[in-house]
Amino acid sequence: MANRVDLSFIIPKADPNFLVDQLELIGLNNLEDLQWDREKAEESLENYGEVTWVDGAIARSLFPYGLEEEHHEPGSLLNSTGTTVVRETTKETVRAIQRLREVGLEDRLTMFRDDNLYGEDVGERVWAYAQIAATLAEEREFDIVHAHDWMTFVAGMEIKKRTGKPLVLHVHSLAYDRAGPDARGWIYDIEKGAMEMADLVIPVSLYTGTICTGHYGIDKSKVHFVHNGADAVKTFRSKSPFKHGLVLFLGRLTGQKGPEYFLEIAAKVLEQNPGVYFVMAGTGERMRGLIEYGAFKDVGDRLHFTGFLNKEKVNQLLSMTDVYCMPSVSEPFGLSAIEAAQYGIPAVISKQSGVAEVMTHARKADFWDVDLMAKHITELLTDPEAREEAIRYSLQDQANCTWEAASDRIIELYQSQLGLS
Amino acid sequence: MKGFIKNLLKALNVPEGEDETPSPPPASAKAAGIRPEPVPETPSAEEPASPEQPAPAPAPVRGLKPAKPSDQTLPTAPAPLPTKGGNTPDSPVLTLFFEVHQPNRLKPYNFFDIGNDPFYEDDDLNRKILDKVSERCYLPANALFTRLLEEHAGQFRMAMSLSGVFIEQLEHHRPDVLESFKKLHATGHLELLSETYYHSMGYHRSKDDFTEQVALHKAKLKEHFGVKPSLFRHTEQVYFNEFAAHIERLKFKGMMAEGVAQHLNGRSPNHLYRSPNVKSMPVILRNGQLSDDIGFRFADTSWDQWPLTAETYAAWCAASGGDVLNIALDYETIGEHQGAETGIFDFWEEFPRLWLESGHRFATPSEVVDELKPVGIYDCHEPTSWADAEKDLSPWKGNAMQLEARKKILLIEQAVKDHDDAELLHQWRKMQTSDHFYYMSTKGGAAGQVHDYFRPYASAYDAYLYYMNALSDLQLRVESGEEPVREEIAPDPNYG
Repeated sequence: MANRVDLSFIIPKADPNFLVDQLELIGLNNLEDLQWDREKAEESLENYGEVTWVDGAIARSLFPYGLEEEHHEPGSLLNSTGTTVVRETTKETVRAIQRLREVGLEDRLTMFRDDNLYGEDVGERVWAYAQIAATLAEEREFDIVHAHDWMTFVAGMEIKKRTGKPLVLHVHSLAYDRAGPDARGWIYDIEKGAMEMADLVIPVSLYTGTICTGHYGIDKSKVHFVHNGADAVKTFRSKSPFKHGLVLFLGRLTGQKGPEYFLEIAAKVLEQNPGVYFVMAGTGERMRGLIEYGAFKDVGDRLHFTGFLNKEKVNQLLSMTDVYCMPSVSEPFGLSAIEAAQYGIPAVISKQSGVAEVMTHARKADFWDVDLMAKHITELLTDPEAREEAIRYSLQDQANCTWEAASDRIIELYQSQLGLS
Repeated sequence: MKGFIKNLLKALNVPEGEDETPSPPPASAKAAGIRPEPVPETPSAEEPASPEQPAPAPAPVRGLKPAKPSDQTLPTAPAPLPTKGGNTPDSPVLTLFFEVHQPNRLKPYNFFDIGNDPFYEDDDLNRKILDKVSERCYLPANALFTRLLEEHAGQFRMAMSLSGVFIEQLEHHRPDVLESFKKLHATGHLELLSETYYHSMGYHRSKDDFTEQVALHKAKLKEHFGVKPSLFRHTEQVYFNEFAAHIERLKFKGMMAEGVAQHLNGRSPNHLYRSPNVKSMPVILRNGQLSDDIGFRFADTSWDQWPLTAETYAAWCAASGGDVLNIALDYETIGEHQGAETGIFDFWEEFPRLWLESGHRFATPSEVVDELKPVGIYDCHEPTSWADAEKDLSPWKGNAMQLEARKKILLIEQAVKDHDDAELLHQWRKMQTSDHFYYMSTKGGAAGQVHDYFRPYASAYDAYLYYMNALSDLQLRVESGEEPVREEIAPDPNYG
């Protein structure tokens, strides 16, 4: 896209040695001097004072990506609810805002020099990022603000407010996906507020677009999806010891990805075909429970866990895999299914995913339809013709999925929706 | 006076303070002792252990002893059961037993190893631990006991059970330590008991394989010590009625078990009993209270009886009543789980002398079953062990992971045996060693701390995952070429 437009990235953290042509990369961690307008920041703080900033245990429990694998002792669930916590929220809200008022710019910048950006004070960082980014933006010439997901949505709003430039929001994932339809709270509020203020909302799939317009009630006329692309990768096959097939789950072991369904599906497939192996690659807060549930379902010698894998190991795993299964409960896109297709792996994916719109020939089922998922997998493993066909189609589908197509479409939207030429 | 009563209560297993509960080790589990001691199963040794010893000096006690008066004044105290003729003192003959074992711990065997790596064990780690425990425990403790057994010329006697996999580790890595055990045995006052070669718990799935493992262990003892054990004690003192009957059918003259309160029904563990399922074979019950005092609490500085002196302990033992007091421990509690700095070596240096000087005697388990008769039925219909506070099988089958792992390894028995491959069979059986399942325990509290202490992995979940990965590899090797079959699984019986 950098070939078509001038891009400046303002990101919390950047490697100063990473340089790209036609691309300006500003990492807040590398900023030394910056003049800023305290008054504007204060004013903005007033505006966002309604947002319930929280930190500590509350923020951690709301944090969508699971900072670390946390183990909850059975019976201890009550520890995280109840009056104590409510009182704490109120107290923490006030404290967090006070703290924000007290810190100067320098302190805000130092927030981005830590190794871990997503700590318990992520709420403060999101706000600090917004202030600094807005300050930087005011000094620049540009036509569009394009922000990605809630952590930069606040910055997008702040920049729009200060500069009046049109705001484009790119939606890769929503609180709805990460925490379920009932999720409410400060992140939801940011998402909803920002999408309401935006001039153009670009979800990564039609599926996610329906959530923006339905669940969040955003005006349909400004919501236009653009499918992600996928970089071509060099693929290979390696020898697998699993003669009757290996079925892969790849992703965080968190509710959104439906790992429990994968386990149920595995148990179903094994009833018919006991020689099949399953592997769950990734880690997440559900891991311990899943391990025990697998043992309870009696599939522990067929369904294996790898824990976290680096890219090289993921590729090795893909090179051994016979069927890719993505039973996500809500998946805005699902790039991994395309990566699998590049490896010539047929996929069985949930209908609640964006990639299902792209992989038009992939086998699909509702995430909860364990029987149908299992049936698809069994067919792909036991019917060579069906398998051949599935591979052929998936290679075609993934070939249509390019970043060039995606950036063309985005520029088209800039022009048609924002009136820019 | 108060102290005396307290000690007496303690000796009688009467719960009194919190410290009485033989619960798992305290926060300082590491420093403190560690695992709950075992209850001995009665082995009948026809062993040379006490061959030439002249009938133990007439400190002879035996048989029933009238309960000491204080026993009777305590409402909860078990009324002493009359045995056949006891002569003397109203204190029990002491039979001391040690379990000696090291498992072959698995390495962090990951998913990508399946089908590629037929070696499951962490040789470096196992070697390292063997060396460490040899220096801290086996060598110095063997030296100490060899000297004491010789010095006391037959008055001091003891028993041990060395697992086959442990002996094997010594053969490969520490022949010097094996030599020191032989020297200890050569004193003539050490009885060696029978167990499974692999320190396993597979009886409930396959009596045949269990029996073969017992035979293998016997052969190993024969090879190195030239003896044939006549008493049996199962891995971690596992015991239950039907199992006792099987042991009797194998012609053992006795076995050991934990004296578990709910099966004793208020009676003292300090007698011989027998299972209702056997014809006559007696069982020697471990005194959990007094055993755990040394195994668990000796180094626990928060224990109100700390520091425990050999004098005090001898007094407790003497006051514990009954015919036979069985103290059974992990050998590694001497010097390893409880380091030399805790004074544990000094304790054992002094205790035998003090016990003998106060007019009491030691006997081997074989002598005990020869001399005494069961005083009653010990009706233990559920499997028990010497471990954790529960004294049951929960340390090895307390969660779904443990249940699955121990079930699946045993289910491939026939497939493994069909290969007629000694190496494969050996590897399969090593995977049955109980420690693998012990590491998968998710217990919390004090018992959890003990499990954590022994576990060589970050968590129970890691232990399970590595094990299941290795098991998958083993299954693939076993199934190679054939259609995989998941055998129908019979419901896990209550025991085993």
